[in-house]
Amino acid sequence: MPGAPFAIEGAMTPLRVNGEHVELDVEPRRTLLDALRADLGLTGAKKACDMGNCGACTVLLDGEAVYSCLVLAVDCVARAVTTIEGLGEGGKLHRLQEAFIAADAFQCGFCTPGQLMALAALFERVARPSDAQIMRALSGNLCRCGAYQHILRAARMARDR
Amino acid sequence: MRAFEYTTPSTIQQAVSALGADSRALAGGTDLLTLMKAHIAAPERLVNVKMLLPRGIEARPEGLEIGALTTLAEIEQHPVIAAGYSALAQAAALAASPQIRNLATIGGNLLQRPRCWYYRNARIDCWLKGGADCPAREGENRNHAILGGGPCYAVHPSDLAAALLAFDAALWVHGRGGERAIELADFFALPAPERRTETVLSPDELVLKLRLPPHPEETRSGYLKAMDRKAWAFALAGVACVLRLSGRKIAHARIVLSGVAPIPWRARAAERELQGAMASPDRFAAAAAAAVQEAVPLRHNGYKLPLTKALVRQALTALTDPACK
Amino acid sequence: MITRLEGADKVTGRARYAADVRLPGLLHAHIVRSPYPHARIRHIDASRAERLPGVHAVLSSANSPSIPWHDASSLFDRTVRYIGDEVAAVAADSDELAADAARLIDVQYEALAFDLVGEAREPKAEARGDVARGLREADVVLEATYRTQTALHNALEPHGCTALWHGDQLTVYESTQGIFAVRDEVAEKLGLAAQNVRIITEHMGGGFGAKQIAWKHTVIAALLAQRTGRPVQLALDRASENLAAGNRNATEQRLRLGAKRDGTLSAIDARIRVEAGAYSVGGEDSDVIGTYLTLYRCANVRAEQRSLRTNAGPAVAFRAPGYAEGNFALESAIDELAARLGIDALELRLRNYATRDQREDKPYTAPESLRRCITRVAAACEWRHQRPGLGFAAHDWAAGGGWPPAEAEVEFAHGAARVIVGVQDVGTGSRTALAQLAAAELGIGVERVQVELGDTQPGLYGPTSAGSATLATLGPVVQEAARLAKKSGHARAQRGENPKGKSIRTCGAQAVELAVDRDTGEVTVKRVIAAHDCGRIVNPLLQSSQVIGGITQALGYALSEKRIVDARLGDVLNANLEEYKLPTVADIPEIVNASESMPDAEANATGVKGCGEPPIIPTAAAIANAIYSATGVRIRELPITREKLIR
Repeated sequence: MPGAPFAIEGAMTPLRVNGEHVELDVEPRRTLLDALRADLGLTGAKKACDMGNCGACTVLLDGEAVYSCLVLAVDCVARAVTTIEGLGEGGKLHRLQEAFIAADAFQCGFCTPGQLMALAALFERVARPSDAQIMRALSGNLCRCGAYQHILRAARMARDR
Repeated sequence: MRAFEYTTPSTIQQAVSALGADSRALAGGTDLLTLMKAHIAAPERLVNVKMLLPRGIEARPEGLEIGALTTLAEIEQHPVIAAGYSALAQAAALAASPQIRNLATIGGNLLQRPRCWYYRNARIDCWLKGGADCPAREGENRNHAILGGGPCYAVHPSDLAAALLAFDAALWVHGRGGERAIELADFFALPAPERRTETVLSPDELVLKLRLPPHPEETRSGYLKAMDRKAWAFALAGVACVLRLSGRKIAHARIVLSGVAPIPWRARAAERELQGAMASPDRFAAAAAAAVQEAVPLRHNGYKLPLTKALVRQALTALTDPACK
Repeated sequence: MITRLEGADKVTGRARYAADVRLPGLLHAHIVRSPYPHARIRHIDASRAERLPGVHAVLSSANSPSIPWHDASSLFDRTVRYIGDEVAAVAADSDELAADAARLIDVQYEALAFDLVGEAREPKAEARGDVARGLREADVVLEATYRTQTALHNALEPHGCTALWHGDQLTVYESTQGIFAVRDEVAEKLGLAAQNVRIITEHMGGGFGAKQIAWKHTVIAALLAQRTGRPVQLALDRASENLAAGNRNATEQRLRLGAKRDGTLSAIDARIRVEAGAYSVGGEDSDVIGTYLTLYRCANVRAEQRSLRTNAGPAVAFRAPGYAEGNFALESAIDELAARLGIDALELRLRNYATRDQREDKPYTAPESLRRCITRVAAACEWRHQRPGLGFAAHDWAAGGGWPPAEAEVEFAHGAARVIVGVQDVGTGSRTALAQLAAAELGIGVERVQVELGDTQPGLYGPTSAGSATLATLGPVVQEAARLAKKSGHARAQRGENPKGKSIRTCGAQAVELAVDRDTGEVTVKRVIAAHDCGRIVNPLLQSSQVIGGITQALGYALSEKRIVDARLGDVLNANLEEYKLPTVADIPEIVNASESMPDAEANATGVKGCGEPPIIPTAAAIANAIYSATGVRIRELPITREKLIR
């Protein structure tokens, strides 16, 4: 659009994903979820509803849990994204991950990355969250296998460890 | 989602001049992107306003100011709102899910479009989308309006709007002619043939900020919401209630309903029942009845009358409980 | 406590699902679906789509082979019979582009009249004794009609696959409960030998019955991959998933129960109508009559069900198909009958539960396990008749005992074992439980056992994960192969027959405690107590996951889930996860699993029976019974949303 009184966004989107600098070259309509999965090969975040109604695509954006299907990749300039692949440190599992295994907090496992990231955001902010805080943090993540009771148990285990 | 151009203007003026019928402002995106994915909206251009509009909550002598880009999570967690504007904090806490609240802005929340399942289905013609008639009127309307319905029977989806209206909020918008202030009560307007939206905002205007007038210390408020499950659903009915008591006498009352009308619905008749009256179960029942006295239920949503009445009663009872501050 | 073998993969995002496969040159496919509930396709013009840069192939009836599909239809039929029926498909460089191209395909339809009510087909009926006499001789007759809704599976992983060819060899990464079922059907549809098709399911994100058959998307992906010479990924979006990938059929159940003053059941008469949708896709005619014929001892029974063909998405098995629906009606009715008789509802069940399979006329292998479940639940909830808000239901389930054929291979060397089987772990924990059985037989730790499954390539047949049968089918085979391999280092074994002359079933009981706010109509379930007979419990942690999972799904079935169809448009209004209300974490009560291990030595050598389906069966009835107990209001229709209870 020559002469338009605004700049057309450049194609490259620089951001940090799991601590590493990446440059995305994507269409404006590509969601962060699709960019992670298709362009960066990070398939831990799942595409289950693509409408912000299930939570399986939850990632951290600057430390906050968001649905990556409701974020445009081009909106992530200079932002920090953490996915399930970046949750543990130095090859060690996060205490939430260990607790999920111990409590059998999943069955099919498809919603698990999203559940974990929703809790990880809480645990980053609050060292010892209350049961009510745990419940609220998980209220935007569906689990069709119905593992909620074990997910809650896992979160309490991780807290009380 | 159809392809679109994405622009990041550097001033509000540039942003406003880039807006129009085929060009939409993008902030949190939690509503706009779902409309685009469902092919209900197909703008040719998205104008990124995330760097341009105010964000944050500020207590000033003239009232509480909330920037348009303030997220629902920030509203939910802000100590001043939790302490002095409980209804707003509760409405924010009951809205959507944590992930949505982290993205969604208050400006976008006021502008979000209805969740009506006819409106959101691209295969179905509906009045709000420019069609001749509302399929919900004679159709599957258990979620639909009992007040203010026709020609559109969708309900307004915002919880926070009801609370903000109950606090007599005003907002500032920026258009091609500069800034203007609008009372929130005038900002929402029933969709009409010449304007098939729920607000009077022009396509080339941006919401800048909200202001809630100061209110005396003794003001009490609350928001109750009924859903199809315990969390993460839009309201079947909700009520925001702001009261000031002088002893047991009700000196000031605002009752605003959500989930029952195409716009947040101020229940003036209920307020009249309360204004100047002594708080009592009978008075609350009268107010509850008045809140829905003009309601016209459709085939499947008659339950919303007793439900709304119960919520009004419960809200008033809780707020006037001597044990409650 | 032994945890899942694949636990670390699932908590790190490493676990690979069908749509996580990344291959060089991967194309993305999108299916064009009918916007009409019934129409004839006049004309398809795909030229604009084909010209779009990045589009590699378009398939429709205009350019692809007419592959016979369910009933008398074909892969891309010229008549579409519900909104969501497959019309065409596109493969393109990206998801977005494939969707663009799909919109550019110009399809001209001639709309036809559609039917959402359906005409009843020939009934499936079973009877014994003389129902008319049983009713005549009854002291009390209960007559009532119960209705259940169309429910949507909504596994969080949509149906989907990634297909690629090497010459004439087709490999498909598929989200399925039955790799061999899909292999055989895909091979047949494509005219290939079965050994030329390989199906791989490393992990799958839930199926609940909807993924136990081969669906069109797999063959479409294979055809697109063939045509383009590139790997093709095709994952359904949520709307398609809810329109076109199966549902639990709605039912109307008209019952008459007759009983003597002492509670003896003298007659059961059930007339049932089942909405089956537009096609018979296999497994859609759920056995709603089953539990009427077996749960209670009764000499005079007549049960019949008629399927209704409608212009709506096809039904398919959904966790305990038929039994979840039938149990809601029967166990509600038993409660109503108990009230009329003035007999404690639990006592009435104890007086009447069956110890023989009356359908097959054989004794059960574990005739008293239902009594044990009932009494365990009663003890755990401190059952008192007419305690407000407390409700109870028992159930049976015709399956869970497993069956042949199945095979397994075990290698054992240096104190470590490799188990190869041809099943898939659908999230129930088959991998782990099979490893435990092998480890126990071999006398080694479970961490020394590697289980390979989810691949047809080794040629070891395994059954579809259905009927709560996986562990009871394969457990004995793995145990036997391990026993042999312990001596020889390497062995294969086959599944033997089940015992003749006995019938294997699973059963259980649940109690629900809840509160109802009559002013708002809101139901709050506080506690569910469950005991299920699943034979020997191999892994208590995983078994409890099945119990809480089944109950959680049942809470949605009972209280919030329903497919909404506009009768004038034939369109589904809530084909999404916003308005189709699955339970959230906030909806979950305390769930007490009071199950005990009850090895069923007569069933098979492991004593194991299944536990996948049973927990979903009795919850809805227990909730309805608890609501009656709390309010005096009897709800005979699911889901029990607040408009049914508000005063």
